[in-house]
Amino acid sequence: MRQPTGGMHILLSPLRFVRSRFAEYYQKHPSAIQPPSAIERREFGFVLFKEKIMARHKSFKNAESLRSFLKAVVPLDVYYSSARYEKPEEKMEDKGRTGTDLIFDIDADHIPTPCRKDHDRWICSSCGAIGKGATPGKCSSCGEQKFQEETWFCEICLDSAKTETMKLIDFLMRDLGFSSEEIEVSFSGHRGYHICVESEEVQTLDQMARREIVEYILGIGLETEFHGLGERSEERSRILFGPGLDGSGWRGRIARGVYELLLSATPEELQQIGLRKKVASNLTEHRELLLESWKGKGPWGVTKDVGFESWKKIARHGAEKQSAKIDTVVTTDIHRLIRLSNTLHGKTGLRKIEVPITGIEQFDPLERAVAFKEGSATVVVSYAPQFKLGNGTYGPYQGETIELPMAAALLLLCKGRAKMVE
Amino acid sequence: MKIGDLASPEYKSVLDRAEDRIEETILFGAVTGQSDKDEVEIPSFPIAVMMVATIGVSFLKRRYALAEARRASNLLRNEREDKITLIANNFNWKIDSVEDPTNSLTYDFTLHYTDFLRNATGFHDKKWKLVNKRMSNGEVCLTKNDVVRLLEEEIRRYIEGKLDTDVGSLPETLMNRVNRLKRLLREKRGEARPLEPSKEVLINAFPPCIRELHGTITSGRNISHIGRFTLTSFLINIGMATEDVVNLFRSLPDFNERLTRYQVEHIAGGRGSRTKYVPPRCDTLRTHGVCPSMDDVCRKVYRPLAYYRRKLRVAQRSTSEEET
Ligand code: SF4
Ligand SMILES: [Zn+2]
Ligand SMILES: [Zn+2]
Repeated sequence: MRQPTGGMHILLSPLRFVRSRFAEYYQKHPSAIQPPSAIERREFGFVLFKEKIMARHKSFKNAESLRSFLKAVVPLDVYYSSARYEKPEEKMEDKGRTGTDLIFDIDADHIPTPCRKDHDRWICSSCGAIGKGATPGKCSSCGEQKFQEETWFCEICLDSAKTETMKLIDFLMRDLGFSSEEIEVSFSGHRGYHICVESEEVQTLDQMARREIVEYILGIGLETEFHGLGERSEERSRILFGPGLDGSGWRGRIARGVYELLLSATPEELQQIGLRKKVASNLTEHRELLLESWKGKGPWGVTKDVGFESWKKIARHGAEKQSAKIDTVVTTDIHRLIRLSNTLHGKTGLRKIEVPITGIEQFDPLERAVAFKEGSATVVVSYAPQFKLGNGTYGPYQGETIELPMAAALLLLCKGRAKMVE
Repeated sequence: MKIGDLASPEYKSVLDRAEDRIEETILFGAVTGQSDKDEVEIPSFPIAVMMVATIGVSFLKRRYALAEARRASNLLRNEREDKITLIANNFNWKIDSVEDPTNSLTYDFTLHYTDFLRNATGFHDKKWKLVNKRMSNGEVCLTKNDVVRLLEEEIRRYIEGKLDTDVGSLPETLMNRVNRLKRLLREKRGEARPLEPSKEVLINAFPPCIRELHGTITSGRNISHIGRFTLTSFLINIGMATEDVVNLFRSLPDFNERLTRYQVEHIAGGRGSRTKYVPPRCDTLRTHGVCPSMDDVCRKVYRPLAYYRRKLRVAQRSTSEEET
């Protein structure tokens, strides 16, 4: 969820075509647009096709006036504020904030996935060299540092974002105590998921409190000693102890993270987290024994050659895997604008849609977010990796003219990878 | 009880005790002792609050709120769990004491995380971070000592709020006491040197970042390490005396004279360090969240010190214009 700044989303020529498709959508499905709760207290913002700038500080009395606005204006992107205000149309200082929903953003962009090298590429702005994967600091052929980046998103990216989302939901329900009815999960229409809690208790949390919640979920500042990992001496020997698998909050998470690590890690991986060679091989040699020990008090102190400091490293690493990779800025910003559900995403032509918590594992964003299910269009594609959309698979394309189903054509047009045939 | 009644002689011992509370705060930063009569001790507190509000000096308000809150928490520490729960419920906390017949648990209370965060985010120790607390179902597990410390913070803010309300005018007997306390406060602080920076330092020429840090400190709230370093090095560099900088930090609840003096002198280039430090550049301050927002002058400079010099030049020019 980048804070929208306007800017060039799409090439000039397909603009008119995209706009009329968007117009058609808002015309045909007005009732799909469900306003946020307390609509009259929210600030709205829009990126407009024409100026490509963000128009902010708008407000609406009810769903009807919002819908007619969308029909008449046809924005590229539609946002509303996570905050509620007494006067949403005033300048920021005069709005009179009365509360803010607790929101989270999980963006595949922040998760290093292996598929990057298959679908992302960079082009050097000075010599034109092209490379795959993450953009380098310096061009390998001419040494310049300016690039044009072409990123894509695929099922693997979206799956990893979904995994993080499920971890977050677990934090929200088990640790913070929200019920599943209080948590609203959506696919953003591009690379990630938004999670929103509107309950009364969160409305007045200040920025510092939100930061503490963020750090709790990311495990920032976590010290395993506060969660039951320790040692004491007893009759001339040192006794190690640690949290159990069913412990509450971070205790159980640390234990489960350690369990997973011991289950699968190779000696090399264990060395990578800072363990000495002897310790690492000792751990893998006794793998069976260690995993068995969870039936009792856990693996802490089961083998003599693994000391307290080593267990601390293992526990910290286990904890790291249990954290949910949320964006820190979005949650702490109490004036944030968020995309409105069921509106179209200007960079993809897909809808932002709600995801049922119980069915999230089976949820296929690339099928469910398709807004245009009929018609087709012929476009000239500059470059696109192979991608899946709806129930079809398309590409890869490189400088070709092709007729595509409407949703696929719009995706390429919005992503700036295609133009219309004149 | 009406305010007018306060002038009558029966109230003398109540007023004495109220004045006592404030005097001890001014001199030693604490409220101790206790009248053996409840009908004196109990009403003396709200009257002391009225008097401090009337004196109106924010340094004293903060110091008094802290002293009373500490006194309350010292008393609470020896109370039973149910009494603590009762007090916490007065502040609408969602709190429960935990049944632990076998004495096997390491905590005594569970508290809703919103009540916890409202009071704990100002504490610096890592044990107060939410991530280092055991939490389940929205409830944070806490020891009795933890709860008492959090209550102290809630009480401190509550009293500070009371001290900021307008109390109207007080009868003359009370005003005499108020004036006496004012004098005492002035003497005490005169001895410790003024808290406000010396005259040649122009607060109006401070950049937004320094103004914010300065304001936070003078209202008795803590700032981050980089914030402290920035403020101290800034003030030293514009010519404030080390002593005055040290005094500025005196209003902090956990002020430690020896440590503060050491840090300030170190930055000023004494204490064997020899180097005089300057405040970080704006971009560094921005990444550390010290820069609150830029104004027009900010856009023309890269360092807070440059901002100050620039504004100073403009100020001097305009005063000399006035004279001609
Ligand atoms: S721009 Fe520089 S001088 Fe201005 S407020 Fe920010 S840090 Fe301070
Ligand atoms: Zn190049
Ligand atoms: Zn991918």
